[in-house]
Amino acid sequence: MAKYIIRRILVSAFVLFGLIVITFTLTRIIPTDPAAKWVGPRATAEQIAAARIKLGLDEPVFVQFGKYITDILHGDLGYSLVSHKPVTEELLQYLPATLELIIVGTFLGVIIGIPLGLYSAKNKNSWFDHICRFFSVGAVSLPSFWIALMLQLIFYGWLGWLPVGSRVSLQVGLMYDLPDITGLLLLDSLITGNMVIFKDALRHIILPAIPLAMFPIGYSARMTRSALLEILNEDYIIAARSYGLKERLILWVYAFKNSLGPTVTVLTMTVATLLVGTFLIEVIFSWPGMGRYIGNAILSFDFPAIMGVTLLTGLSYTVFNLIADILMVLDPRIRL
Amino acid sequence: MILRKQNKLRTKICIILIMIMIVTTLLSGCGGEVDSSGQAIGDVAVQAYGSTLTMEWDPAVMYSDSVAVMSNVYETLLRYNPKEDKIVPCLATEYSKTDDGLTWTFKIREGVKFHDGTDLTAEDVKYSIDRTMEIGNGAAFIWGPVEEIKVIDEYTVEMSVKYPAPMDLISASNYAAYIHSKDAAEADPEGWYMDKEAGSGPYIIESSVQGDQVVLSKFDDYWKGWEGKHFEKVVIKSILEGATRRQMFEAGELDAGGVNLEDLPIIRQNPNLSVVEVPTFVNTAAYFNTDKAPLDNKLVRQALSYAFPYEDVIEYVMNGYAEQTRGVLPANMWGYSEDIPQYTYDLDKAKELLDQAGYPDGGFKLVYTYINGPEDMKKTAELYKTELAKIGVELELRAMPWDSEWAMAKAENPEDRQDICSFRWWPDVCSPDSWLQSLYHSEDQIIFNLCYYENDDVDQFIEEGIRLSGIDRNQAAEKFVEAQKQIMEDAVVIPQYDHAGIWVLNSSVKGFEFNPAYNACVSWYDCYREE
Amino acid sequence: MTESIQLIKQIIKPKLKELRLSIYLLTRNTLTRISLIILLVLILIAVFAPQIAPYPTHLLLENNPTDKLMPPSSQYFFGTDELGRDIFSRILYGARLSLEASVYVVGFALVIGTILGAIAGTIGKLVDEIIMRITDLFMSFPPLLLTIAITAVLGPSLKNAQFAIILTWWPWYARLARGQAISLRERQFIKAAEAIGTPTYKIILSHIIPNCISPIIVQASMDMGTVILALAGLGFLGLGAQPPIPEWGLMISTSRNYFMNAWWYSAFPGLAILITVMTLNLLGDGLREILDPKTRKL
Repeated sequence: MAKYIIRRILVSAFVLFGLIVITFTLTRIIPTDPAAKWVGPRATAEQIAAARIKLGLDEPVFVQFGKYITDILHGDLGYSLVSHKPVTEELLQYLPATLELIIVGTFLGVIIGIPLGLYSAKNKNSWFDHICRFFSVGAVSLPSFWIALMLQLIFYGWLGWLPVGSRVSLQVGLMYDLPDITGLLLLDSLITGNMVIFKDALRHIILPAIPLAMFPIGYSARMTRSALLEILNEDYIIAARSYGLKERLILWVYAFKNSLGPTVTVLTMTVATLLVGTFLIEVIFSWPGMGRYIGNAILSFDFPAIMGVTLLTGLSYTVFNLIADILMVLDPRIRL
Repeated sequence: MILRKQNKLRTKICIILIMIMIVTTLLSGCGGEVDSSGQAIGDVAVQAYGSTLTMEWDPAVMYSDSVAVMSNVYETLLRYNPKEDKIVPCLATEYSKTDDGLTWTFKIREGVKFHDGTDLTAEDVKYSIDRTMEIGNGAAFIWGPVEEIKVIDEYTVEMSVKYPAPMDLISASNYAAYIHSKDAAEADPEGWYMDKEAGSGPYIIESSVQGDQVVLSKFDDYWKGWEGKHFEKVVIKSILEGATRRQMFEAGELDAGGVNLEDLPIIRQNPNLSVVEVPTFVNTAAYFNTDKAPLDNKLVRQALSYAFPYEDVIEYVMNGYAEQTRGVLPANMWGYSEDIPQYTYDLDKAKELLDQAGYPDGGFKLVYTYINGPEDMKKTAELYKTELAKIGVELELRAMPWDSEWAMAKAENPEDRQDICSFRWWPDVCSPDSWLQSLYHSEDQIIFNLCYYENDDVDQFIEEGIRLSGIDRNQAAEKFVEAQKQIMEDAVVIPQYDHAGIWVLNSSVKGFEFNPAYNACVSWYDCYREE
Repeated sequence: MTESIQLIKQIIKPKLKELRLSIYLLTRNTLTRISLIILLVLILIAVFAPQIAPYPTHLLLENNPTDKLMPPSSQYFFGTDELGRDIFSRILYGARLSLEASVYVVGFALVIGTILGAIAGTIGKLVDEIIMRITDLFMSFPPLLLTIAITAVLGPSLKNAQFAIILTWWPWYARLARGQAISLRERQFIKAAEAIGTPTYKIILSHIIPNCISPIIVQASMDMGTVILALAGLGFLGLGAQPPIPEWGLMISTSRNYFMNAWWYSAFPGLAILITVMTLNLLGDGLREILDPKTRKL
């Protein structure tokens, strides 16, 4: 077991290295000169040459690559070519908004999806089960950007129930100093006990979180249902039933607990996917998160920023995959 | 058994009640009932910005949409009012030039304070411009004509220039011409401008959320003072989707900004909102690759110019909020002239010209690139594709981010470049040479002359025009008109349309005045709220 | 040669029987039956789009701006878009586009992935290690991110978008095929084939791949929907199909500027995606239940 985990970690390290190599190469074949981008459209040749030295582009590619690796190990991702600011600093400013969105999205996914799956497995082949299955397949079939547009039109445009356009409303943002402990506004406002901000932030996050939650809802409902159905046919459940244990006890304590494994595993992987999936949602809801940052970076060929985000998402992706794999090993019943 | 069922029912009812409570608390209270425990906020103006704001506060380097913020935080020596073609004093109270246009003297305003508390002197002016030129990033090229900047006394600056360039217009530019505090910059030359600023404008940057919004609050020691009605705070917020902006305007959450053209009729009917139509200096054009067959043939280019549906584009794409460009300059810019001939939509003529050029049934394919995002550019491209199909020319459309489009246009081999490249243009310095010199003067290395146009006569007209523009603007204008006539004759570009600027305002906002020389910027100091 | 034909026949015969059984099982479940019917209708639409569409000229070249943004009516079932083109006709044509594109993507990814995975699983050792580490690498890339980066480098077009998606998709098949191959390798008939000296490539082609194909097909049917969604997402970003091609994602993207006044412009392409993807997913679900021995019930 330990041997497997160590091996798996080594593989992850290799994968991360490969990730750096590929992003590094990709950014070098993008047909634009980063030094020219840094100095602006009408710089003289000398200015471009100076920028090339400043950005370390005058050295051979291998030296550049080596430098890049050492810098990464020091947490330095270079400077954005567009805003001329350190990429690490910018990433840290954008990350919490995205994290918050993903956490709320996944949370919604879990608290809606798992009970749905549970009930439909319990009442297999009832009308509830059919609707549930239909809904869970529908939820993973929706284009998230489309549902985002529709939600905005209905709940903001027509009904005016929920706000869009930011993380908190303007008034609240101006009246209070927004707490900045973790950067997760909901958590911070709870810590500082400011319920006005908490409520306001919660209202703002609902609409963007729903499109993100659709996929986890559908997925966890399906996973829970199928895992539970399998378990409900296991000998020990049948035995428990024949002992006359309460049906609810069987469902929650024995069956559900055991079906949680695969569901959690799959969810860890969806979280990683959501990291990038937020991009379209952030554009539509003007959410100041990483999705928008990377979008802008790609559209303007801001290659240090592109590499920074790729590295960060790749890292979390790899880590989540690692966790999922280790979970799988720890739980002998799950096998891919 | 019955008892158990009741129990179950009770639990269910409880759960449902709790859920209803949560939902209603969330849906209730649209900000109005926020309790008064927070700070008082005074009168706040909210400007919506249609793209992600680049948060870049170094006035020497900034050459991006940060300008919407910067123009309220920093000031230039002079300002330009194109409506009356007048130079307005700002940080300089007056200026003069020698007859040969080679030496310009600026009197600096006394009693101006920077946001770091220091006073504005001639030293700051010299330092700002020198620093901008030395760093050489962004729009620093506008200072190209400058030979030397001399401090004559505490409040006088003298600029000597290499040729009679219009230094009054240059020092009124929206980019690279902001004067900043020398002390602040010297205290921390590298990082000072990352998150702070050192301007003299009416507002200071209070806070910013990366990529989302900037909050400006009034600078108490502003030299114009705060008599009368003004906004205490200004929020500049980036809201990418036009539909979202429209909905936020309707909800009363925004004070100024733009919406999609298609939404304007409904906005106009809303009594709480008003629509202001202003002239701008922005125009859109499609540039031919004159280095590559068949567009290296003048007749083909002329044919393609006749095939462009000018009127349809204005009517159906711009909904009438635009005009066909005459020459290459926007109609409000000096150097514009009614004498310059315009192409019209005439397919017969186009066919005839193609025939003459040796392509009787068209039969060739062209790649047309445009910027990914603006709806009007996409629609224009689609309409043009339809028209060209009628004369047997196939147009392949490609939406690209500006950087990709530009990189493609600068590709080493002319064959790798697009055939037609369309983009927008607006001036750095309010002078025709911002178009003519950048876009049509021959270049050793491709920068913005994306027609790859080389015509000695045009080059000469442009150079003479530039040399005259610091001395005699009328004579300079004549040269610029001549250059445009030749450009139109050679048909290296399809000048598509001049944009009308459309601003949606909350009706309570008064004093709004848009200056086309400062694209995308609102001078919030001049605005106030009156119900 | 004749031997191998014989061999293939031996494999195919029971497979055919199984196929007939599968079709019977497929049509037994109501949900699956309905989705099968819808899929057939969609395929028919895709094939005959130019014939069915009331305005076949509105697909690419013709526009009709005087009739722009008309609401749904008997003349235009789903209304018109910003250049007066019939949205119904364009959606029909979009079905062809999306199905075709996703078949290509899944097909290529499946072929590349299955072959590489089967090779890795059969040969093992160093080859396995190399191939699997490469798949690890591709799989650890956030999929949309790599796709965006690739289209940004190669330039935006439907073809490049497809290529980019294939690049991020094949490793999933490779993993699946490898897992199957490893378990097959230990089976008697493979051992026997090895013992009589059958070359490895023949074993892979005629034994391993045919026997590991069913979970891969299930995966493929599930992926078709996901690929349509991914292509639509790229179209939405302007990195996929280019106007005036009536790709659904691109249509929704354009409709963002008009949907406040023309709800139909966003609603119908979105519904088209939803129905198509859902049909494919339901079908995939049904297929899995039949082909997966664990859930299979007779």
